[in-house]
Amino acid sequence: MKTESATTVERRRVLRRLMSRRSAVAAMIILLLIVIPCAAAPLFAPYDPSAQPDIIALRSQPPSLSHPFGTDPFSRDVLSRLLYGGRVSLSVALIATLVSITLGTAYGAVAGFAGGVVESVMMRLLDALLSIPRLLLLIAVFAAWRQLSLPAFVIIVGFTGWYGLSRMVRGQVLAIKGQDFVASARALGAGRARILLKHILPNVLTPVIVAAALGVGHVILLEAGLSYLGVGVQQPQPSWGNIIQDGSDQIARLWWISFFPGVAIVLTVMAFNILGDALREALEPRQTGPG
Amino acid sequence: MAGYLFRRFAQAVVVVALVATIAFFLIHLAPGDPFAAAVANPNVSEAVRAHWREAYGLDRPVPEQFMRYIASVARGDLGWSFSLQRPVLDVLADALPHTLLLMSIALAASFALGILLAIAQVMKRGSATDRIIGGISLLFFSMPEFWLALMVVVLLAYRFPVFPIGGMVDPVTHGSLGPVSRLVDVARHTVLPALTLTLLYSAVVARYQRAALLDVLPSEYITTARAKGVPERRVIRRHALRNALLPVITLFGLAFPALLTGAVYVEKVFSWPGMGLVIVNSIDTRDYPLLMAAMIIGSALVAAGSLVADLMYLAFDPRLRDED
Amino acid sequence: MDVAAVTAQLCRAATFNLLSTMRQFAPFAAVLVIALACDRGERAASAAGDSASPGGTIVISTGGDPDVLFPPLLESVAAQQVTDLVYDHLANIGSSMNTVGDAGFEPQLARSWTWSPDSLSIAFHLDPRAKWHDGLPVRASDVAFTYALYKDSATASPSAPLIASIDSVTTPDSLTAVFWYSGRSPMQFFEATNPMLIIPEHALEGIRGQELRTAPLARAPIGSGRFRFVGWNAGSSIEITADTANYRGRPRADRIIWSIAPDFNTAFTRLLGGESDVFEQLTAASLPQIAGHAEIRTVLLPGLDYNFIQFNLRDPAHPARPHPLFGDRALRRALTMAVDRAHIVQNVYDTLAQVAVGPTVRAYPSTDTTLQQIPYSLAGARRLLDSLGWRNSGDGIRRRNGRPLEFTVSVPSSSKARMSMAVIVQDQLKQAGVKMNIDKLEIASFIDRETHHSFDAVFGGWHVDASPGGIRQTWGSAGSHTAGSNYGSYENPVFDAAVESALSEMNLDERRARFKKAYQMIIDDAPAIWLAEPRSMIAISGRIRTPSLRPDAWWANIPEWWVPPAERIARDRLGSSR
Repeated sequence: MKTESATTVERRRVLRRLMSRRSAVAAMIILLLIVIPCAAAPLFAPYDPSAQPDIIALRSQPPSLSHPFGTDPFSRDVLSRLLYGGRVSLSVALIATLVSITLGTAYGAVAGFAGGVVESVMMRLLDALLSIPRLLLLIAVFAAWRQLSLPAFVIIVGFTGWYGLSRMVRGQVLAIKGQDFVASARALGAGRARILLKHILPNVLTPVIVAAALGVGHVILLEAGLSYLGVGVQQPQPSWGNIIQDGSDQIARLWWISFFPGVAIVLTVMAFNILGDALREALEPRQTGPG
Repeated sequence: MAGYLFRRFAQAVVVVALVATIAFFLIHLAPGDPFAAAVANPNVSEAVRAHWREAYGLDRPVPEQFMRYIASVARGDLGWSFSLQRPVLDVLADALPHTLLLMSIALAASFALGILLAIAQVMKRGSATDRIIGGISLLFFSMPEFWLALMVVVLLAYRFPVFPIGGMVDPVTHGSLGPVSRLVDVARHTVLPALTLTLLYSAVVARYQRAALLDVLPSEYITTARAKGVPERRVIRRHALRNALLPVITLFGLAFPALLTGAVYVEKVFSWPGMGLVIVNSIDTRDYPLLMAAMIIGSALVAAGSLVADLMYLAFDPRLRDED
Repeated sequence: MDVAAVTAQLCRAATFNLLSTMRQFAPFAAVLVIALACDRGERAASAAGDSASPGGTIVISTGGDPDVLFPPLLESVAAQQVTDLVYDHLANIGSSMNTVGDAGFEPQLARSWTWSPDSLSIAFHLDPRAKWHDGLPVRASDVAFTYALYKDSATASPSAPLIASIDSVTTPDSLTAVFWYSGRSPMQFFEATNPMLIIPEHALEGIRGQELRTAPLARAPIGSGRFRFVGWNAGSSIEITADTANYRGRPRADRIIWSIAPDFNTAFTRLLGGESDVFEQLTAASLPQIAGHAEIRTVLLPGLDYNFIQFNLRDPAHPARPHPLFGDRALRRALTMAVDRAHIVQNVYDTLAQVAVGPTVRAYPSTDTTLQQIPYSLAGARRLLDSLGWRNSGDGIRRRNGRPLEFTVSVPSSSKARMSMAVIVQDQLKQAGVKMNIDKLEIASFIDRETHHSFDAVFGGWHVDASPGGIRQTWGSAGSHTAGSNYGSYENPVFDAAVESALSEMNLDERRARFKKAYQMIIDDAPAIWLAEPRSMIAISGRIRTPSLRPDAWWANIPEWWVPPAERIARDRLGSSR
């Protein structure tokens, strides 16, 4: 009970610190402005993203009042596609990040808590995994397995993004393990699992939350890149990377198809990065380093 | 120290072997017939197909293929590229120097620019300059590499055709140029891809370096230096910067995977004939031997990068060579 | 009549001038017609040029490195272009494109030839002046060697099946090579001359089988053609230069350079910027830009391709049974009716294709273009589907007995045009209450699907050969077995008989009438939605004068291309020192 109220107070303080930063507030507003229309795309999109109203007269139209972001060669509305595509890109990023932080936290916590041979084997493996260039690995996986479903794609992306975090978590666990309240819990006869869940995990949340915010931005970029290379989200499912790819063939003439989804990516990723930075500072005001 | 070096080196070898194994099984357990593309030509008879299978060892059981593959990789034989009809080693030997050229220009430029920007920011902490530079860094830090490259192409190759749109040399005139003009020709083609990479990575360096400088500024010996009346400018330049160089070295080691990633996208957009383009093309052509080899070489590069960074770290560590 | 009609249609769209007209073909069957090209702009080629001052550099933008510059092994078009100019055939198929007998063939390495009285052998008499680019004379033994190399199973040449009818090649003397056949066939001269480029034996001393691919000759060809090879800078360029002392005369240009750009944009921009002179991969999207460049003329070559969405008439899971959807002729007709082919072709190809007339191309003289098509009518399609019991359910997809009207079409990802057409068809069928899923497959898996008949529908395409008889294999019952090319298993004995009767007819008018009957039958049965008959368009800088281009190989007469001295620019003079 005592810890409950302490965390509540702490939470309020963090929130206050976060809201006192103008950049963080701006980032949150930008995110809401992008996330809400994307999440509720059917409500906000002016057209059906796959509708082809007139493949001769309305194809490849530059931005105008009726089509603020122009149309593509199939006369589809780019704004509507961008909103529906954002839904895909954002959920891919969120779910993959969720997979990553779950794996990373679990792995790091287990390694740090187990200690001994188990820990050193786990960390050696981690070193090896960390040295594999993520993009190359993902390209090879998706080039070999072309027709993967979206859930499989998300899970694989998530499975390649947890190494750095688990290292951090393990460090935190090691630091906390030696502290008094863990020692006293142990003295009181608490089991390993209980100590891990009740005492250690809540205390490693800080790096996890920061890593999650930064990770979402990173996965958005990764998904866009893979889709641009043709090994990401598969057509006809629009995603931000896919729409950029659609337009890249004729970029000199139909620049608007690739331009606007790119802007959406930049704004979203920037917002997540600002939030990540701000969260880190709000959670640990003293730590300003590169972490 | 020798023991440490040996361990690090062994680690790098293990990583490369791991990547080779992953690459092999990924591709050999993948569905579909990797050869169908090469023999899609209806004129190719079944006998010819069988012959090719035999020559590439594709009719053996997978474990045997794997042993053959590992043995040949260890010998330095990376196989035969289906799509280019050349030994993979030749293809990569042609491409790698081009990537290294682009990478080293981008690396040098972005470290120089990034560190300068960070110093400018830290000297005027909290000022408008600091915030503006920070904002611009964040902008480029958050940008998809390929998208920036596309925008650079639209702007500086299509709209205002100042620079050539792609390739590394002018394919028509290059052969008949003198040595100086050849150099100029390559330089002209290097500008846009190098610019793109520099914009992206100086942002990373600046952000990282600013944080690193701020980290060391409160530390004891800098406080001492300040107390002694050393001017702020000098504190940063002489004391803080030198200590903040360590994270830069770390960043240098981390930069290799990022640069490789950038190379994949930027080389595709600018048709730069390097490793990245080889990788992208081998996706489309399903040239698995080439893709596998490119992955192995890529991770070897990354491993080498972090090894070099470790060595530099050892050489610069102030705990070993502190003069103050 | 169809020639005029086609020509008019071809040329109307972009104010094309007719450059040369279609040649007349022999009444005999396997003659390919087409020497028909449309030429925009006033700088039509003059064949009678100023030959006193040869010169000029011709830069060809190409989309990728060739595979290997070794004729028996090459498969890429870029490689074919380079080797066709560096090496020689014994004789070259003429501009009449005749493939029967030796009519129209022009001498190359063989100055002349003699048929044996029983036509079971042909003796080729080599030009004694012919020399390899390294100075050695071309000998009959090189011809025999080339034949053996193409035929050798260790070489694994993709062209080997094309010369299967040749039994052996003998060399009674150093300038005579005799080709022997086990039986007579209309195309036996074509088979001796067209598939093979003659290769110097001395440059491949002892190299056989797998090693051929890596032989120095495979990357640096030594031929006897009117251009000699200079260099290949992978990913960047290939250069060949005029063989000034060639036995067939010096070519009119100094050098030819293939400027290699791995993507369309780069290649196209090089053309627009004047960095290259020739570009052959024009797409509809590039037409407006080309139109803004008066200095670039475009040459439209007639199409030898047609593409289509092909239905599988058998159940892929149980090949003995009809397909649950496409076994129904009326349903296939309804789907065809729901697709607005004219708009699709206009959107995707602009003027670079016509709506396909059926399982054939207009370039065949035997194709009648007045075939009755299933008309586009969304309302008609809806009515027909209603009457078949496919009723609209709440979600916009029709159902019958609970089964949704849904199928998947496999499309090869390598074809941008087919991908685009599929996306439009998908939307148009949706209007009619039909759900079509697109399965984008990379070409290997696509072919795998086709050959295993494991698909509902495929977006296929055929490149036709010299004779319309290929239809037996592609749409006839004969091709419906497992190894055949009739992937959709359309089997109609009446259609088969009509095709046979047409192919056996010698008189053209009668032949066309009989084909019309056969084509009409298959169009009415709708085993496929025939979409587009694409044509290729080549952009050529106006500086360059060309005779009319051969439809199947526009580069074939590059030795006759030239740049008038007054219009030469800096790069044209680079090679003149040689």
